[in-house]
Order: sequence, then C-alpha cells, then structure tokens
Amino acid sequence: MDHINGLSQILGSNLITEREQKIPYMTDASYYQGDLPLAVALPDTPEQVAAVMKYCQDNSVPVVARGGGTALTGSSIPLKEMLVISLAKFDKVLEVHPEDRYAVVEPGVKLDNLNQHLSRYGFFYPPDPASSIAATVGGSISTNAGGLRASMYGTTKNWILGLEVVLPSGNIIHTGGKVLKRTAGYDLTALLVGAEGTLGIITKAIVKIWPLVESKGRILAYYDTIEKVGSSISELKGKGITPLIAEFMDKITMHSLSETRGLTFPEGASYMLIVDIASTRESIDRELKQAEEVLRKFNPISTEITTDQAAMDRIYEARKGAYSSLLSERSSMSERVVIGDIVVPASELPMALKESEEKARKYKLTVALFGHISDGNIHANIYADIADQDHMSRVEGFQHDFAMIAIKHGGSVSAEHGVGLEKKELLIMEFEETGNQYMMEIMKSIRKAFDPKGIMNRGKMFDQ
Amino acid sequence: MISDLLEELDSEVSKCISCGFCESVCPTLPAAGYDLWKGARGRVIMGRELLSSVQNHGSLNVSDSFYSCLDCHACLYVCPAGVNAGKVSHLSKSVIAGNGISGNRNPLAEMMASVTMRYMNPLGIREKCAEWFQGMEVDTGSGDLLYTGNMYQLMAYTHGMNRLREKIGKGMSRRMSSLISRFPWLIKLAPMKRDETASRRMDQSLSNIALLLRKSGISFNYLGKEEPYPGTFIYDLGYLNLFREYAGKVAKILRDSGAKRIITIDPHTYDLLKNVYPEYVEDFGIEVVHYLDLIEGSAFKGGNENITYHEPCHFSLREQAYNRPLETLRSVASVNLPPRSGRRTKCCGGPDELLFPELTHKISQNRYEELQETTPQKIVTACPICFSNLNKGPEVIEIGDYLVSKLKN
Ligand SMILES: Cc1cc2nc3c(=O)[nH]c(=O)nc-3n(C[C@H](O)[C@H](O)[C@H](O)COP(=O)(O)OP(=O)(O)OC[C@H]3O[C@@H](n4cnc5c(N)ncnc54)[C@H](O)[C@@H]3O)c2cc1C
Ligand code: SF4
Ligand code: SF4
Repeated sequence: MDHINGLSQILGSNLITEREQKIPYMTDASYYQGDLPLAVALPDTPEQVAAVMKYCQDNSVPVVARGGGTALTGSSIPLKEMLVISLAKFDKVLEVHPEDRYAVVEPGVKLDNLNQHLSRYGFFYPPDPASSIAATVGGSISTNAGGLRASMYGTTKNWILGLEVVLPSGNIIHTGGKVLKRTAGYDLTALLVGAEGTLGIITKAIVKIWPLVESKGRILAYYDTIEKVGSSISELKGKGITPLIAEFMDKITMHSLSETRGLTFPEGASYMLIVDIASTRESIDRELKQAEEVLRKFNPISTEITTDQAAMDRIYEARKGAYSSLLSERSSMSERVVIGDIVVPASELPMALKESEEKARKYKLTVALFGHISDGNIHANIYADIADQDHMSRVEGFQHDFAMIAIKHGGSVSAEHGVGLEKKELLIMEFEETGNQYMMEIMKSIRKAFDPKGIMNRGKMFDQ
Repeated sequence: MISDLLEELDSEVSKCISCGFCESVCPTLPAAGYDLWKGARGRVIMGRELLSSVQNHGSLNVSDSFYSCLDCHACLYVCPAGVNAGKVSHLSKSVIAGNGISGNRNPLAEMMASVTMRYMNPLGIREKCAEWFQGMEVDTGSGDLLYTGNMYQLMAYTHGMNRLREKIGKGMSRRMSSLISRFPWLIKLAPMKRDETASRRMDQSLSNIALLLRKSGISFNYLGKEEPYPGTFIYDLGYLNLFREYAGKVAKILRDSGAKRIITIDPHTYDLLKNVYPEYVEDFGIEVVHYLDLIEGSAFKGGNENITYHEPCHFSLREQAYNRPLETLRSVASVNLPPRSGRRTKCCGGPDELLFPELTHKISQNRYEELQETTPQKIVTACPICFSNLNKGPEVIEIGDYLVSKLKN
C-alpha cells in the first residue's frame, strides 16, 4: 500500500490501482499469463517516467515496460507484484525531416500509424512485423522486430539512430543522434535495441526513414519441393538481385489462405514463393523478367508476374494475415497457434526446412511453415492445445529440436520475436552449443551497469 | 436464459488469442487514457473474468468496461480470430442486466430502460417528438410508414441532460436515476431542458427528409405522437427480456397502423428493425427500408463540391454494409473519405454520450479533426447522433439537408 501512495504522489490520476482495471495488463500475445501487477503507471512525460523509475529503484519495486502488448514470448507481462509502466500515452510523431532522413517519434506510436503519417511526406519506416497495426515503436525497438521487408531493409536495428532512455536511477540519457553516421564510443543505441526492457525505458526514438518505393512488381512461383524454393532464392541473391520481399509458405498455410481468403493455387503446388522486386518505373518490367528467369531454372510448377496494385495488396495482406488464417483452422478453441521463430543462413534453408518438417512428423504435430526466406527466417506455426498436457510437452519437444536445427546450421534460436519467458532456456542452450557460455556473463554485467538492483523486467531473458 | 448468454460469451471470448490488434482501432481506448479495460482487448479479457466470476460466485466490479463500449464493431474487422469485442460487451451487459452477477447494474441504464417501458420513449416525451410534423399532411391510407423512431428529436435533449448531471454531481445523478428507475413517472418532474437551437436544426432535418420522399413521389403515413421509440437503448444496454416484450409492443403498433413498409431514417433504427427485430419478434415480417432507398437520383442536380462523408458504424460496420448514402452523395458531389472509412470507419463516440460523456467528448473531437484534415467544403453525416456529436463547425451538415440543397428546382 505504501508504494501505491508513493507512486500516486508522482503519477496522480496516471496510476491504476483497482484490481479489475489491472487484469488486462496480465496478458500479451503469448500463451503466458502474468501475475496481477502491483499497479499500472501511465506516465505522460519523460520526467514522470524518470520519477517513477527513481522511486522504483530506491524502493526495489520491479517494473515491466509495456508498448502494444503484442509480444509472443511473454516479455511484456508482469510477474510477481511488478509495476507495469505503459508507454501508451507517448503516442505522437514529434518531427519528420525528409531532407535529413529521420523522424523523432514517441515510443507508444503504433507502426502502422507512423507509416500512415510518413506517407504524407512520400517516406516510410521499413520495419514491418506482421503485428504492425498494434505493435509500437518502443516495443518493436525493444524486440528488434523484423518483418516482411527485412529482406531488403534489414530489421529494426538498422533503422534506429538514437534514443532517449530513462534509466532505473531516474537519469535520462540520449544515445546516438540525428545523424546517419556516428562513431563516438560504445554504440549504446545498438545495445538497447532488442534489450526487451531490461536496461531502461525508451521515451523517444530517432528513426531513419526512407523514400517510398517508386515502383514494384511481384513474382509468384510454385514448387513441389522445398529444396527448389531454397535453391531459387540462393541463386537469385547470388546473381546480385535483392528482393524487396521474399516469402515462402507451405501447403498447410496455402490451404488456410484458400479457405479464408479465397486464394487459388496451381494443382500440385506444395510451396509458394512470393518475390517482390523494387525498381524505377522505367526498369521494373525488365528486372521482374530477369528475376523470373532465375526462378524458372528450378522447375517451378508455374510462375506469374503481377504489377497490379490491387492483386499485390491482396497477396501481401494474405501473407501478413497468414497467422490469422491458420487460426481459423483450429480444431478447438483451446488450441493456439504457437509460433516457433528461428533463423539460419539463407543457403542452409532447404536442409533446415526439410529437417523441420521431419521433426513435426516425429512429434505428431500439425506445423505450418512459412517465413522470410531471403533472410533465412523460418516460422513454425504449431497447433498447440494448451489445455492438453501431453500435447504441450510434444510442442516443447518440437521447439527444442527446432532450435537445435537453427544452431546446427549456424543460425539462432530467436530470429525476431525475442527471448522473454519463452526462450530463456533456448538462449542458454544456444550459448552453450556454440561455446559462448561467457556471453551470458557479459550480458549480466551489462545489465548490472544499467540496472544495479535488477528491477527491470526481472525474470525475463535471464532468471533474475 | 443467463446460461445461454454465458455459453455464447464463452464461445466468443475463447477464440481470442490476445494479439491486441483490436485495441488499435477501438475509439474508447485512447479516449479513456489507454486504461486497457476500456479498450477492445480489455473487454474480451474482462468477458473471460466475468464468466469465471459468475461460475465461481466471485465478485467483480466490471460494468464500466462493458457499458463504455460503443457497440461500433470496428474491432471485429481487424481481429485475426474473428472476435467481436462489441458483441462480448453486449453479452456481458446482458448478463449484468439479467442479474447474472450482482453489484454491477448501472442506475442510468436502469432508468432509461424503465422509462422507455412505461412511456415508449426514453425521456417520456413522445408528444414533443411529434412537434416537427405540425401542419404537414399524412396519407393514412398509405402502406408506407415514415418511422423516425424519435431519434432526431431526442438529440435536442442529450446535451441538456449531461449539463444537468454535471450540475447535480455524479452521486446525486446516480441516486436520482435509481429513483426514477423505480418510479418512472418521476421523469415527468425532472427539469429536462431542450436545446432549442439543436431542436430547430433536427426538426429541419426531419422536414427535409419528408420533402425528399415527397419529391420522389412517396406519400406516407406517420404516427405522430403515437410513434413509439424503437427500444434501441433497452437492447443496447442488455435488457433482453424487456426488449423482447417492448419490441413486440412496437411491432404491434406498426402492424396495426397498416404499415406494409417501414421507412426508417437513421442507422440505429434501420439496423435494429432490419437485423434485430426479426430475431426478437415472432413473424415480424414487415419490410424495412431506409429513406435513401426510395430517393430518385434524377431529383438532384450534379456537382463537384468537395465533401467528406463520415460513415456511421451501423451502416458500414454491420454484416451487410449499407452504402446507399455514399452512392447518393457520389451522384451529387465529389466525395472524400477519411483514412478511416468503409470497414474501418470510426465511431463519432455518440453511443457513450449518456453514460460516459467525457469519452464521447474526446472521441468526437478526435474524429472531427480527422474529417477536417481532408479539407472539405462540407462534412456530411448520415445519422442524427453523428451529426449532433460532430457538429463542431459550420461545415457539418446532415445528409438529408445536404441533398435538399442539391434538388433541381
Ligand atoms: C499476430 C502477430 C504477428 C507478429 N509478427 C511479427 C513479425 O512478423 N516480426 C516480428 O519481429 N515480431 C512479430 N510479432 C511479435 C511482436 O509483435 C513484436 O515483437 C513487436 O515488435 C512488439 O511490440 P509491442 O509494442 O507490442 O511490444 P510489447 O509486447 O509491449 O513489449 C515487447 C518488449 O519490449 C519492452 N518494451 C516495450 N516498450 C518499451 C519501451 N518504451 N522501453 C523499453 N522497453 C519496452 C517490453 O517490456 C517487452 O519486453 C508478432 C506478434 C503477433 C501477435
Ligand atoms: S484482435 Fe481479436 S484475437 Fe486479437 S486481442 Fe482483439 S479480440 Fe483477441
Ligand atoms: S465495439 Fe467499438 S468500442 Fe466496443 S470494443 Fe469494439 S471497437 Fe471498441
């Protein structure tokens, strides 16, 4: 109760303490259920965040930052009496400077809203997780989110120039700056990207922005084996062609898209490859043909090219909504679609995919595979009945083996969703299997430098 | 009955995967300062809590979460799992109203329901609602019945009611509401103030709708002070048993008038009669249309005035979208739509006006600004509730009034 008094002196009506009002904060998009938080803070200035943080450090109150609450790993839910600090009220785009290629944005801005705002200037911010309608700038920085466009533009880390961060001590630091280059000491901006709220609270971000693509076209190619899909993409990249988007889907995913969105696919197609090429108006047709020729070398069942915006939007939306389509095929309401998320070097994909399919068979699970093929990211969408113990232990077994596939092929157990609660053990496994045990020690030391009392998102990423 | 509601609630909330997509389009969430239980995902989560409280006889103070829902259904169109948080709220309100859980009934909602049951009008002012028609002719022999549902007329009272509530304070207003809900006749003693400017404007809109129908050669009957309110509040607030009884009475009045076809004029009444009445009234069977269905395009002169149309939720966010207003406007002007339009249209905030006026104020201001950003010469609404909440500048006009200005001489 004392803490409530202390916090309400700082936050006034920006503090939620009623039990019922706190309940929705126990949930994010993962299948983990958090504990009832101590309270929920909804500060509206960095100074208020700073005062709250100082109070929490001085009084050893653990905190968890919350953006859109779309995390798939449990990283944004509170554990044991934590204070939730929601950044929702930080919802403004503060500055846009097309000439200098940057924008200053508050962390609670949703990614789609940011892009809608930037489109007025003819610009965009490329990171586009499939959750971009609800994911925030702060949350996506903190998980280093990827997305469909990462093929050409990379993940969030490539787009963050600077941050305003409140540390547990209540100090406000400014990392990086409004410039596209900077080599002045350790790159703390990079360190904070993907930190999952374990180091500080982001209250402002300077993000790099880019002119909207002038012209783009899409090639759809259908194959009967996964090896052919992988080889096509390797060859494409080997020829110096970088797709704007390169996505693949398996038969289960295609089936769900035809059920839910009425898409049709050629007879005998087991895999679909979607390749977008961006170029100038003058050269788009030529470049599309060149890319199609490469894809045709690997005996696709068929290929087609489209530059029709409506058709392209339909397929883009379908791919972005593939997870939703899979959901609609659940056989019971207690079934979830748990997303496994690994990455391997793109050239290893054919083998990694083949092995993933074998593991799904081994554990007798229905697993739909799709992903961002050009950067080697595979999403294994596992139908998981969370009410069935046996089923869940098979899901766990699959997740373990799936992670091992990533490690074996020189990749990582987490491509873009982060660690949170879900992958704490897999992270240790990755470090151990790759002879990097000392990494965990370094991470813990860094954490201590920022957060000596370990109040920030305690229990996520590491155990304490 | 409660068990059916709980079952339906269970099947709706169980589909949710907590992705939060619905929060991004829910108008009440930012207006409530991002207090999650007043947002779409929060309502689904609270729906789950309500279920478990009812099953375990627990206590839960949850009514504000559901009563603040606008029933706009914007959330449904972004939900990957096909959940409708609006439906969750409605089912939950129905559980509360049906005494499925104690301590959650809302006095103002109770008052509206009991006054409506007694006077067939939520404020007991049926006579006043017929004043706009004074001096006009009706065709009592016509099978076409013009049915205003009292909606335009009531708009002249809502702001006044809120001012009264502000003046007497929240506690007093709850006590008064409780009292009136037990003794509905007390409503007649309440110092209900009509906003005369709003009233004139609404009466004008009603007259213009009548004019548009006449110009299209439709002669119609109208029930005047016998016209009942359709029961929208009773249904929306979850009093389903009362609503069944009430809708039966309304249907009888409509049938007894000899109506073969009911001409509705606002989206709420249109939606209720077309989509809900058939479910609650046995053999309802009367054809329901909107007046714009009957207006002939040839009556208007074309034009290219730059206008922005704000689509009402009960037209654009229902299973069968009703696009006739947009089509009609396109035939007389150059129509812009704001970024949130069609299946993503955004509620004006109106449905919260009586229970959560502070939310309505913020939502309507925000929507008005979004509409203004399209820099139109006119902002056209097609619902008296939308009009009365978005009427924040001289450029805002109801569709009937706008169309009358475009009539050929
Ligand atoms: C349907 C669906 C599809 C998805 N698709 C993708 C995808 O394609 N690619 C992808 O990368 N991810 C995807 N995700 C995962 C998730 O949406 C992303 O990780 C997203 O970036 C999280 O953003 P958020 O605002 O919801 O963050 P939250 O869930 O609120 O938080 C995530 C983490 O960031 C921390 N945090 C939040 N805000 C701050 C802040 N201001 N300062 C410090 N720490 C903060 C939290 O404490 C937490 O640890 C998907 C999720 C769903 C539900
Ligand atoms: S969008 Fe649908 S599935 Fe996602 S949180 Fe809202 S109701 Fe649940
Ligand atoms: S119906 Fe409207 S107000 Fe209600 S939860 Fe859905 S989006 Fe929010």
